[in-house]
Amino acid sequence: MRTEPRTIINFLSNYFDVVKDLFDIQMKDGLIKTEELKQILTHYESDIENKLIEYKFLKKISDDYEIRPVYFKFLEFILSEFKPLLPETIEKYEHSITALFKKIKEGISKDRNILLQRITDLNNEVRDFTDAVEKNTIRLISETKELKSNVDKIDYREKVRKASFWIDYYIKPLNTILDVSHSQSITNRLLDISQYINIRRLNFDDEMARQQFEKLYTFLVQTNDDLLRQSKILTNELLPLIERIRSESLILTGWIEFLKNPDKSELPFITKTYRKSPQSNNPYHNALEYVEQFLQSNEVYLNESEDAMSEKWIFNKDFYLDKLKKDLPEPNFFEWAGKTLRTEYKSVETEKFFSLTTLLFEDDIELEFDTKTDRQVIRTTEMNLRVPKIKVKRHGLS
Amino acid sequence: MDYPRYHRDIVSDLLDGKFVLATDAKFVELKNNADFYGKFFKESFDYYLVIKTEYAFIISEETMETLSRDICIFLGVLCYELDKEGKNFLDEIQYAEFDLEIIDNLFDNSSYTDLIQNNNQLKNSDNRKQFLGTLNRRNIIDRNSDKKFTFTPAYREFMEFAKNFAKGRLQQNSIEEEA
Repeated sequence: MRTEPRTIINFLSNYFDVVKDLFDIQMKDGLIKTEELKQILTHYESDIENKLIEYKFLKKISDDYEIRPVYFKFLEFILSEFKPLLPETIEKYEHSITALFKKIKEGISKDRNILLQRITDLNNEVRDFTDAVEKNTIRLISETKELKSNVDKIDYREKVRKASFWIDYYIKPLNTILDVSHSQSITNRLLDISQYINIRRLNFDDEMARQQFEKLYTFLVQTNDDLLRQSKILTNELLPLIERIRSESLILTGWIEFLKNPDKSELPFITKTYRKSPQSNNPYHNALEYVEQFLQSNEVYLNESEDAMSEKWIFNKDFYLDKLKKDLPEPNFFEWAGKTLRTEYKSVETEKFFSLTTLLFEDDIELEFDTKTDRQVIRTTEMNLRVPKIKVKRHGLS
Repeated sequence: MDYPRYHRDIVSDLLDGKFVLATDAKFVELKNNADFYGKFFKESFDYYLVIKTEYAFIISEETMETLSRDICIFLGVLCYELDKEGKNFLDEIQYAEFDLEIIDNLFDNSSYTDLIQNNNQLKNSDNRKQFLGTLNRRNIIDRNSDKKFTFTPAYREFMEFAKNFAKGRLQQNSIEEEA
């Protein structure tokens, strides 16, 4: 008879300490010996061996046990502790992704259902690939933080040996897989695929397939961002590992250990802001003031202020550019700007003045500017601006 | 009964969770009347007064307090990232002027992404800016402008915490090894 799923989840939760210890052993040794299982069950005084098998958590392999892959992956995920994959295991995705992509291209105008299935499969394969990369990066970061923190007090030589091991067998090869400047990297292959999918999502005849292409394209764009982030971590944090473990600091060890689980760590106590809420010495008047504000029944009208009106001003560049061109040559641009605004609005507002100033950057006018001449003052409504004298002429004409 | 000079300001600052720094005139008065204030805060609020060479503050053993956890995460990530960049993080924190942009850059590219994203005070630039406002109010940093700040000596309290945390962990590990 099939066990009720909720029963299994409750069982895992109730016996989580046992489950976690079994997981740690399998993570370390790849399997769980019978005597190790018995030792853990005795330690926690839990007679649950039969249940572990009945709920298909453990599988007997000869005389030993193994946590079934589906539970093992689940535990890896919730504990964020991953078994590192050798880069060649990750590299296999390059072949599967390339093969699927090739099939999609070849069968693009053949059977629609097969095409849809292939697009879904490619999506899944890319997801599996990015999951594998992410798991490896998480594991590698955790290993390197462990080396940096060095709570096990291993000596420098041993630290360098461990760091070299991680770099040579895991970090460098993973970097090659992700390195966008490497023409054979999977990241580059994914970029090629996303370019192809981008075109198909826009111009493919079948709507259903177009939607699938669209979905895959969005996923690939997101994947590309994720991979770039992972690659950055590899280059900035993991590759310089040997250099980084050279220094050690008790404070840094403390922070790294603390950051592993800040919510469960003891903290330095600093006080919360103390709220002062004494009684008022004049409660009658305070209450009266509060009530009176609701007794006012005068109607309130809101007029739009002049300021608000001026905020709506939109700079009509073409209009002012035409005006300037008509007035060319102009011996003093800022004087012209001030005069133009004054004629139109009776005052020179700073914002309008600055908008007009942008005309100086137009392509078909030419400027002449003498650094030796004195600056002049233009008064706007908000400030006095000291500006140079700029001569403006039409391109090629004086 | 005569109260010490700045009495109201001293009590008000400490109850606001501020660190009173040695550069502040109130600090001398607080230090000279350490026994009185120690007793005052214990009897009135059940708080403990801590006076160190460069700062003073009060502590409460309230467990729901999350600010010190957020400060520790902030400083922990900052020290880790500065070290990653090959800098002497202690020198940087003691002497350098920090810019919000530098902080953003370090936090946005940190491998502690999950921790940062799940912390409301630190998850993005705007929230971090607000958080720095809190640190400024508590005299843990000194804001030199809207975006620039330096750490006050109060940071030492948290470094001391990290050091003790490491010692505890090292001790725990050697006990486990012996067992």
